[in-house]
Amino acid sequence: MSEEDTLAKPTTQTTENVEESETGGDEGANIEEENRTAFQPLFNLEQLPEVETKTLEESEDVVYEVRAKMFRFDVEAKEWKERGFGQLKFLQNKEKKDKVRILMRRDKTLKICANHFILPGMNVKPNVGSDRSWVYNTPADFYDDQANPELLAVRFANPEKASEFKAKFEEMVKQVEEARK
Amino acid sequence: MNVPLHSVPDWTIILAALFIFHKNFQASQHNKNIMSADVPTAKLILVGDGGVGKTTFVRRHKTGEFEKKYIATVGVEVHPLKFNTNRGLLCFNVWDTAGQEKFGGLRDGYYIQGQCAIIMFDVTARQTYRNVPTWHRDIVRVCNVIPIVLVGNKVDVMDRKVKPKQINFHRRKNLQYYDISAKSNYNFEKPFLWLARKITGDVNLRFVEDAALEPPEVAIDLETMKRYEEELDIAAVAPLPEEDNDF
Repeated sequence: MSEEDTLAKPTTQTTENVEESETGGDEGANIEEENRTAFQPLFNLEQLPEVETKTLEESEDVVYEVRAKMFRFDVEAKEWKERGFGQLKFLQNKEKKDKVRILMRRDKTLKICANHFILPGMNVKPNVGSDRSWVYNTPADFYDDQANPELLAVRFANPEKASEFKAKFEEMVKQVEEARK
Repeated sequence: MNVPLHSVPDWTIILAALFIFHKNFQASQHNKNIMSADVPTAKLILVGDGGVGKTTFVRRHKTGEFEKKYIATVGVEVHPLKFNTNRGLLCFNVWDTAGQEKFGGLRDGYYIQGQCAIIMFDVTARQTYRNVPTWHRDIVRVCNVIPIVLVGNKVDVMDRKVKPKQINFHRRKNLQYYDISAKSNYNFEKPFLWLARKITGDVNLRFVEDAALEPPEVAIDLETMKRYEEELDIAAVAPLPEEDNDF
Protein backbone atom coordinates (compact mmCIF):
# COMPACT_ATOMS: atom_id res chain seq x y z
CA MET A 1 0.00 0.00 0.00
CA SER A 2 1.46 3.34 -0.97
CA GLU A 3 1.70 6.28 1.40
CA GLU A 4 -1.02 7.97 -0.62
CA ASP A 5 -3.40 5.10 0.06
CA THR A 6 -2.77 5.28 3.75
CA LEU A 7 -3.36 9.01 3.80
CA ALA A 8 -6.59 8.79 1.89
CA LYS A 9 -8.48 7.17 4.70
CA PRO A 10 -9.04 9.14 7.87
CA THR A 11 -8.29 6.89 10.79
CA THR A 12 -8.29 7.29 14.47
CA GLN A 13 -4.52 7.56 14.46
CA THR A 14 -3.37 11.06 13.84
CA THR A 15 0.03 12.17 12.68
CA GLU A 16 -0.26 15.39 14.59
CA ASN A 17 -1.15 15.74 18.18
CA VAL A 18 -3.88 18.33 18.16
CA GLU A 19 -4.01 18.51 21.90
CA GLU A 20 -0.34 19.24 22.34
CA SER A 21 -0.99 22.56 23.99
CA GLU A 22 -3.73 21.31 26.26
CA THR A 23 -1.83 22.60 29.22
CA GLY A 24 -0.20 25.56 27.57
CA GLY A 25 -3.09 27.00 25.55
CA ASP A 26 -3.31 30.76 25.25
CA GLU A 27 -6.15 31.11 27.66
CA GLY A 28 -8.18 34.25 27.32
CA ALA A 29 -7.46 34.60 23.62
CA ASN A 30 -10.54 34.76 21.43
CA ILE A 31 -10.58 31.49 19.53
CA GLU A 32 -13.20 32.86 17.15
CA GLU A 33 -11.12 35.90 16.23
CA GLU A 34 -11.69 36.74 12.59
CA ASN A 35 -9.12 35.26 10.25
CA ARG A 36 -8.40 38.07 7.81
CA THR A 37 -6.38 36.10 5.30
CA ALA A 38 -7.30 37.07 1.76
CA PHE A 39 -7.86 34.10 -0.50
CA GLN A 40 -8.03 34.24 -4.28
CA PRO A 41 -11.71 35.19 -4.77
CA LEU A 42 -13.78 32.94 -7.02
CA PHE A 43 -15.69 35.82 -8.53
CA ASN A 44 -14.85 39.20 -9.91
CA LEU A 45 -16.37 41.78 -7.56
CA GLU A 46 -17.19 44.01 -10.52
CA GLN A 47 -19.56 41.30 -11.68
CA LEU A 48 -21.17 41.23 -8.27
CA PRO A 49 -22.20 44.86 -7.84
CA GLU A 50 -23.89 46.03 -4.67
CA VAL A 51 -27.62 45.71 -5.15
CA GLU A 52 -30.39 47.59 -3.45
CA THR A 53 -32.24 45.17 -1.21
CA LYS A 54 -35.88 44.85 -2.12
CA THR A 55 -37.85 43.10 0.59
CA LEU A 56 -41.05 43.41 -1.51
CA GLU A 57 -42.81 44.56 1.63
CA GLU A 58 -42.58 48.15 0.46
CA SER A 59 -46.28 48.47 -0.42
CA GLU A 60 -47.47 47.05 2.90
CA ASP A 61 -47.87 48.25 6.46
CA VAL A 62 -46.73 46.22 9.45
CA VAL A 63 -49.92 45.92 11.51
CA TYR A 64 -48.49 43.52 14.09
CA GLU A 65 -45.18 41.82 14.85
CA VAL A 66 -43.97 39.35 17.42
CA ARG A 67 -41.07 36.96 18.10
CA ALA A 68 -42.12 33.42 17.25
CA LYS A 69 -41.06 29.92 16.43
CA MET A 70 -42.80 28.37 13.41
CA PHE A 71 -43.40 24.66 12.80
CA ARG A 72 -44.96 22.72 9.95
CA PHE A 73 -46.78 19.43 10.37
CA ASP A 74 -45.33 16.56 8.41
CA VAL A 75 -48.55 14.69 7.63
CA GLU A 76 -46.76 11.46 6.67
CA ALA A 77 -44.46 11.34 9.69
CA LYS A 78 -47.26 12.73 11.88
CA GLU A 79 -44.87 15.09 13.61
CA TRP A 80 -44.02 18.76 13.81
CA LYS A 81 -40.87 20.00 12.15
CA GLU A 82 -39.35 23.35 12.89
CA ARG A 83 -39.42 25.97 10.16
CA GLY A 84 -37.57 28.74 11.89
CA PHE A 85 -37.22 31.22 14.71
CA GLY A 86 -37.46 34.95 14.19
CA GLN A 87 -39.74 37.93 13.67
CA LEU A 88 -43.30 37.20 12.51
CA LYS A 89 -45.23 40.05 10.89
CA PHE A 90 -48.78 40.76 9.75
CA LEU A 91 -48.49 42.86 6.61
CA GLN A 92 -51.49 44.71 5.21
CA ASN A 93 -51.50 46.05 1.68
CA LYS A 94 -51.61 49.87 1.79
CA GLU A 95 -54.27 50.06 -0.92
CA LYS A 96 -56.12 46.78 -0.72
CA LYS A 97 -57.14 46.34 2.89
CA ASP A 98 -58.43 42.81 2.23
CA LYS A 99 -54.89 41.67 1.56
CA VAL A 100 -53.15 40.76 4.77
CA ARG A 101 -50.32 38.25 4.92
CA ILE A 102 -48.22 36.56 7.54
CA LEU A 103 -44.53 36.87 6.73
CA MET A 104 -41.74 35.47 8.85
CA ARG A 105 -37.97 35.44 8.41
CA ARG A 106 -35.37 33.44 10.28
CA ASP A 107 -32.98 35.39 12.44
CA LYS A 108 -29.47 35.97 11.11
CA THR A 109 -29.84 34.45 7.64
CA LEU A 110 -33.06 36.46 7.03
CA LYS A 111 -34.51 33.66 4.94
CA ILE A 112 -38.27 33.46 4.66
CA CYS A 113 -39.80 30.65 6.71
CA ALA A 114 -43.51 31.50 6.32
CA ASN A 115 -45.40 33.58 3.74
CA HIS A 116 -49.16 33.20 3.32
CA PHE A 117 -52.37 35.22 3.26
CA ILE A 118 -54.84 35.52 6.08
CA LEU A 119 -58.09 34.43 4.43
CA PRO A 120 -61.79 34.57 5.30
CA GLY A 121 -62.84 31.71 7.56
CA MET A 122 -59.37 31.02 8.97
CA ASN A 123 -59.03 30.25 12.64
CA VAL A 124 -56.45 29.06 15.14
CA LYS A 125 -56.69 26.11 17.50
CA PRO A 126 -54.73 25.27 20.63
CA ASN A 127 -52.03 22.61 20.55
CA VAL A 128 -52.06 19.86 23.12
CA GLY A 129 -49.89 20.49 26.13
CA SER A 130 -48.84 24.03 25.23
CA ASP A 131 -50.40 27.21 26.54
CA ARG A 132 -48.33 29.43 24.28
CA SER A 133 -48.89 27.90 20.85
CA TRP A 134 -51.55 27.85 18.13
CA VAL A 135 -52.09 25.65 15.14
CA TYR A 136 -53.80 26.67 11.89
CA ASN A 137 -53.73 25.83 8.21
CA THR A 138 -53.11 27.68 5.01
CA PRO A 139 -53.96 26.55 1.46
CA ALA A 140 -50.86 28.21 0.03
CA ASP A 141 -47.72 28.93 1.98
CA PHE A 142 -45.12 30.36 -0.38
CA TYR A 143 -41.88 28.84 0.80
CA ASP A 144 -38.67 28.01 -1.04
CA ASP A 145 -40.08 29.11 -4.41
CA GLN A 146 -43.25 27.03 -4.21
CA ALA A 147 -46.72 27.34 -2.75
CA ASN A 148 -48.06 24.42 -0.76
CA PRO A 149 -50.94 23.84 1.64
CA GLU A 150 -49.46 23.58 5.12
CA LEU A 151 -50.50 22.87 8.65
CA LEU A 152 -48.57 25.30 10.79
CA ALA A 153 -47.96 25.78 14.48
CA VAL A 154 -46.59 28.91 16.01
CA ARG A 155 -45.13 29.24 19.50
CA PHE A 156 -44.54 32.39 21.50
CA ALA A 157 -42.50 33.47 24.50
CA ASN A 158 -45.46 33.18 26.91
CA PRO A 159 -49.26 32.71 27.05
CA GLU A 160 -49.81 36.48 27.00
CA LYS A 161 -48.06 36.85 23.67
CA ALA A 162 -50.01 33.86 22.40
CA SER A 163 -53.38 35.43 23.27
CA GLU A 164 -52.27 38.72 21.78
CA PHE A 165 -51.49 36.86 18.52
CA LYS A 166 -54.86 35.11 18.53
CA ALA A 167 -56.76 38.36 19.07
CA LYS A 168 -54.85 40.10 16.29
CA PHE A 169 -55.27 37.12 13.96
CA GLU A 170 -59.04 37.07 14.50
CA GLU A 171 -59.25 40.83 14.05
CA MET A 172 -57.45 40.52 10.70
CA VAL A 173 -59.71 37.69 9.52
CA LYS A 174 -62.71 39.88 10.35
CA GLN A 175 -61.22 42.88 8.49
CA VAL A 176 -60.51 40.74 5.44
CA GLU A 177 -64.04 39.35 5.51
CA GLU A 178 -65.56 42.84 5.87
CA ALA A 179 -63.46 44.28 3.06
CA ARG A 180 -64.61 41.55 0.72
CA LYS A 181 -68.33 41.95 1.32
CA MET B 1 -7.58 7.06 -8.84
CA ASN B 2 -5.34 4.03 -8.55
CA VAL B 3 -6.57 1.30 -10.84
CA PRO B 4 -3.81 -1.31 -11.09
CA LEU B 5 -2.89 -1.67 -14.76
CA HIS B 6 -2.56 -5.42 -14.65
CA SER B 7 -6.04 -6.05 -13.32
CA VAL B 8 -9.38 -5.93 -15.06
CA PRO B 9 -11.30 -2.68 -14.51
CA ASP B 10 -12.89 -2.57 -11.12
CA TRP B 11 -16.54 -1.93 -11.86
CA THR B 12 -17.27 -0.62 -8.42
CA ILE B 13 -14.72 2.14 -8.94
CA ILE B 14 -16.07 2.95 -12.36
CA LEU B 15 -19.62 3.04 -11.06
CA ALA B 16 -18.57 5.23 -8.16
CA ALA B 17 -16.80 7.63 -10.53
CA LEU B 18 -19.94 7.80 -12.68
CA PHE B 19 -21.95 8.47 -9.57
CA ILE B 20 -19.73 11.41 -8.63
CA PHE B 21 -19.97 12.76 -12.17
CA HIS B 22 -23.73 12.39 -11.92
CA LYS B 23 -23.84 14.25 -8.60
CA ASN B 24 -21.76 17.08 -10.03
CA PHE B 25 -24.02 17.23 -13.05
CA GLN B 26 -27.19 17.08 -10.95
CA ALA B 27 -25.94 19.88 -8.74
CA SER B 28 -25.18 22.12 -11.70
CA GLN B 29 -28.46 21.28 -13.43
CA HIS B 30 -30.41 21.94 -10.29
CA ASN B 31 -28.98 25.43 -10.10
CA LYS B 32 -29.75 26.09 -13.74
CA ASN B 33 -33.34 25.00 -13.26
CA ILE B 34 -34.27 26.92 -10.16
CA MET B 35 -32.43 30.12 -10.85
CA SER B 36 -33.40 32.55 -13.51
CA ALA B 37 -30.09 34.37 -13.64
CA ASP B 38 -26.69 32.77 -13.22
CA VAL B 39 -26.22 32.69 -9.49
CA PRO B 40 -22.57 32.66 -8.44
CA THR B 41 -22.07 29.17 -7.03
CA ALA B 42 -19.26 27.55 -5.07
CA LYS B 43 -18.65 23.92 -4.22
CA LEU B 44 -18.41 23.54 -0.46
CA ILE B 45 -17.07 20.33 1.08
CA LEU B 46 -18.51 19.48 4.49
CA VAL B 47 -16.47 16.89 6.37
CA GLY B 48 -15.90 15.54 9.86
CA ASP B 49 -16.36 12.33 11.81
CA GLY B 50 -19.67 10.44 11.76
CA GLY B 51 -22.31 11.79 14.12
CA VAL B 52 -20.85 15.26 14.68
CA GLY B 53 -23.94 16.85 13.10
CA LYS B 54 -23.09 17.65 9.49
CA THR B 55 -26.41 16.58 7.96
CA THR B 56 -28.42 18.13 10.79
CA PHE B 57 -26.58 21.42 10.24
CA VAL B 58 -27.34 21.41 6.50
CA ARG B 59 -31.00 20.56 7.09
CA ARG B 60 -31.27 23.27 9.69
CA HIS B 61 -30.26 25.76 7.02
CA LYS B 62 -32.34 24.19 4.31
CA THR B 63 -35.69 23.62 6.00
CA GLY B 64 -35.30 25.05 9.49
CA GLU B 65 -35.88 21.68 11.11
CA PHE B 66 -33.68 20.14 13.77
CA GLU B 67 -33.43 16.38 13.33
CA LYS B 68 -32.60 14.48 16.49
CA LYS B 69 -32.50 11.01 14.98
CA TYR B 70 -29.13 9.88 13.68
CA ILE B 71 -29.14 8.37 10.22
CA ALA B 72 -25.62 7.95 8.85
CA THR B 73 -25.08 9.59 5.48
CA VAL B 74 -23.99 7.13 2.81
CA GLY B 75 -21.54 8.49 0.26
CA VAL B 76 -22.48 12.08 -0.32
CA GLU B 77 -25.56 14.27 -0.61
CA VAL B 78 -25.37 17.55 -2.46
CA HIS B 79 -27.54 20.40 -1.21
CA PRO B 80 -27.68 23.83 -2.80
CA LEU B 81 -27.90 26.47 -0.06
CA LYS B 82 -28.68 29.97 -1.24
CA PHE B 83 -28.01 33.14 0.70
CA ASN B 84 -29.20 36.58 -0.25
CA THR B 85 -26.44 39.15 0.19
CA ASN B 86 -25.94 42.85 -0.44
CA ARG B 87 -24.31 41.71 -3.70
CA GLY B 88 -27.19 39.47 -4.73
CA LEU B 89 -27.78 35.75 -4.36
CA LEU B 90 -24.88 33.41 -3.66
CA CYS B 91 -25.19 29.65 -3.73
CA PHE B 92 -23.10 27.05 -1.93
CA ASN B 93 -23.42 23.55 -3.31
CA VAL B 94 -22.83 21.76 -0.05
CA TRP B 95 -21.31 18.29 -0.43
CA ASP B 96 -22.47 16.65 2.76
CA THR B 97 -20.16 13.64 2.98
CA ALA B 98 -20.35 10.43 4.98
CA GLY B 99 -18.29 10.78 8.13
CA GLN B 100 -18.34 7.10 8.96
CA GLU B 101 -15.48 5.39 7.24
CA LYS B 102 -17.56 2.40 6.17
CA PHE B 103 -19.92 4.71 4.28
CA GLY B 104 -17.21 7.01 2.96
CA GLY B 105 -16.76 5.71 -0.54
CA LEU B 106 -14.54 7.62 -2.91
CA ARG B 107 -13.63 10.57 -0.76
CA ASP B 108 -11.05 12.12 -3.06
CA GLY B 109 -13.65 12.16 -5.80
CA TYR B 110 -15.97 14.18 -3.61
CA TYR B 111 -13.23 16.71 -2.85
CA ILE B 112 -12.29 17.41 -6.47
CA GLN B 113 -12.91 21.04 -7.41
CA GLY B 114 -13.91 21.90 -3.88
CA GLN B 115 -13.70 25.68 -3.55
CA CYS B 116 -14.27 26.06 0.16
CA ALA B 117 -14.81 23.74 3.11
CA ILE B 118 -16.22 23.27 6.58
CA ILE B 119 -14.61 20.75 8.93
CA MET B 120 -16.92 19.86 11.79
CA PHE B 121 -16.22 18.17 15.09
CA ASP B 122 -18.32 17.58 18.18
CA VAL B 123 -17.17 19.45 21.31
CA THR B 124 -18.63 16.65 23.44
CA ALA B 125 -16.48 13.92 21.81
CA ARG B 126 -12.71 14.42 22.01
CA GLN B 127 -11.88 11.89 19.31
CA THR B 128 -13.76 13.92 16.71
CA TYR B 129 -11.40 16.83 17.39
CA ARG B 130 -8.35 14.59 17.33
CA ASN B 131 -9.33 13.51 13.81
CA VAL B 132 -9.54 17.07 12.48
CA PRO B 133 -5.93 17.06 11.13
CA THR B 134 -6.71 14.01 9.01
CA TRP B 135 -9.75 15.63 7.44
CA HIS B 136 -7.78 18.80 6.88
CA ARG B 137 -4.88 16.98 5.27
CA ASP B 138 -7.21 15.20 2.85
CA ILE B 139 -8.84 18.44 1.76
CA VAL B 140 -5.54 20.23 1.27
CA ARG B 141 -4.11 17.34 -0.71
CA VAL B 142 -6.92 17.50 -3.24
CA CYS B 143 -7.90 21.18 -3.16
CA ASN B 144 -4.68 23.00 -2.20
CA VAL B 145 -5.34 26.40 -0.64
CA ILE B 146 -9.04 27.07 -0.16
CA PRO B 147 -10.84 28.93 2.63
CA ILE B 148 -11.73 26.48 5.39
CA VAL B 149 -13.81 26.94 8.53
CA LEU B 150 -13.37 24.66 11.51
CA VAL B 151 -16.54 24.40 13.59
CA GLY B 152 -17.08 22.81 16.99
CA ASN B 153 -20.73 21.72 17.10
CA LYS B 154 -23.06 20.92 20.02
CA VAL B 155 -21.87 23.77 22.27
CA ASP B 156 -25.40 23.78 23.73
CA VAL B 157 -24.56 20.55 25.62
CA MET B 158 -23.62 21.27 29.22
CA ASP B 159 -20.92 18.61 29.45
CA ARG B 160 -18.44 20.04 26.97
CA LYS B 161 -15.31 17.92 26.56
CA VAL B 162 -13.22 19.93 24.07
CA LYS B 163 -12.60 23.19 25.91
CA PRO B 164 -11.98 26.46 24.05
CA LYS B 165 -8.38 26.66 25.24
CA GLN B 166 -7.68 23.26 23.68
CA ILE B 167 -8.82 24.37 20.26
CA ASN B 168 -5.81 25.66 18.39
CA PHE B 169 -5.53 23.64 15.19
CA HIS B 170 -7.08 26.48 13.19
CA ARG B 171 -4.34 28.89 14.20
CA ARG B 172 -1.59 26.65 12.92
CA LYS B 173 -3.33 25.96 9.62
CA ASN B 174 -4.82 29.37 8.99
CA LEU B 175 -8.46 28.35 9.30
CA GLN B 176 -11.37 30.28 10.77
CA TYR B 177 -12.94 28.82 13.90
CA TYR B 178 -16.48 29.02 15.32
CA ASP B 179 -18.28 27.34 18.20
CA ILE B 180 -21.71 26.45 16.84
CA SER B 181 -24.91 24.71 17.83
CA ALA B 182 -27.21 23.33 15.19
CA LYS B 183 -29.71 22.84 18.00
CA SER B 184 -29.80 26.38 19.43
CA ASN B 185 -28.68 28.06 16.18
CA TYR B 186 -25.76 29.65 18.02
CA ASN B 187 -23.41 31.10 15.36
CA PHE B 188 -25.09 28.90 12.77
CA GLU B 189 -24.80 31.50 10.00
CA LYS B 190 -21.18 32.44 10.74
CA PRO B 191 -19.35 29.72 8.78
CA PHE B 192 -21.29 30.58 5.62
CA LEU B 193 -20.85 34.31 6.10
CA TRP B 194 -17.09 33.98 6.55
CA LEU B 195 -16.80 31.73 3.48
CA ALA B 196 -19.02 34.06 1.45
CA ARG B 197 -16.71 36.95 2.31
CA LYS B 198 -13.63 34.98 1.28
CA ILE B 199 -14.93 33.68 -2.03
CA THR B 200 -16.18 37.11 -3.06
CA GLY B 201 -13.27 39.05 -1.63
CA ASP B 202 -15.70 41.48 0.03
CA VAL B 203 -14.81 41.66 3.71
CA ASN B 204 -18.01 43.58 4.43
CA LEU B 205 -20.41 41.24 2.67
CA ARG B 206 -23.61 40.72 4.67
CA PHE B 207 -26.79 38.70 4.47
CA VAL B 208 -29.90 40.66 3.55
CA GLU B 209 -33.64 39.94 3.50
CA ASP B 210 -34.95 37.53 0.89
CA ALA B 211 -37.47 39.18 -1.39
CA ALA B 212 -40.93 38.30 -0.04
CA LEU B 213 -42.87 37.59 -3.22
CA GLU B 214 -46.61 37.79 -2.89
CA PRO B 215 -48.03 34.35 -2.07
CA PRO B 216 -50.74 33.03 -4.40
CA GLU B 217 -54.33 33.22 -3.28
CA VAL B 218 -55.91 29.82 -3.52
CA ALA B 219 -59.63 29.32 -3.42
CA ILE B 220 -60.57 26.29 -1.33
CA ASP B 221 -63.61 24.16 -2.04
CA LEU B 222 -65.67 22.68 0.76
CA GLU B 223 -64.24 19.20 0.39
CA THR B 224 -60.66 20.43 0.68
CA MET B 225 -61.65 22.58 3.62
CA LYS B 226 -63.07 19.52 5.34
CA ARG B 227 -59.87 17.56 4.78
CA TYR B 228 -57.81 20.45 6.17
CA GLU B 229 -59.99 20.54 9.24
CA GLU B 230 -59.47 16.83 9.82
CA GLU B 231 -55.71 17.16 9.43
CA LEU B 232 -55.77 20.12 11.76
CA ASP B 233 -57.43 17.98 14.42
CA ILE B 234 -54.63 15.42 14.13
CA ALA B 235 -51.99 18.13 14.25
CA ALA B 236 -53.58 19.77 17.26
CA VAL B 237 -53.06 16.65 19.36
CA ALA B 238 -49.49 16.02 18.17
CA PRO B 239 -47.20 17.70 20.68
CA LEU B 240 -44.69 20.25 19.45
CA PRO B 241 -40.97 19.53 19.87
CA GLU B 242 -39.66 20.20 23.35
CA GLU B 243 -40.02 23.59 24.90
CA ASP B 244 -37.04 25.86 24.70
CA ASN B 245 -35.68 29.11 25.97
CA ASP B 246 -35.02 30.84 22.70
CA PHE B 247 -37.17 33.80 23.54
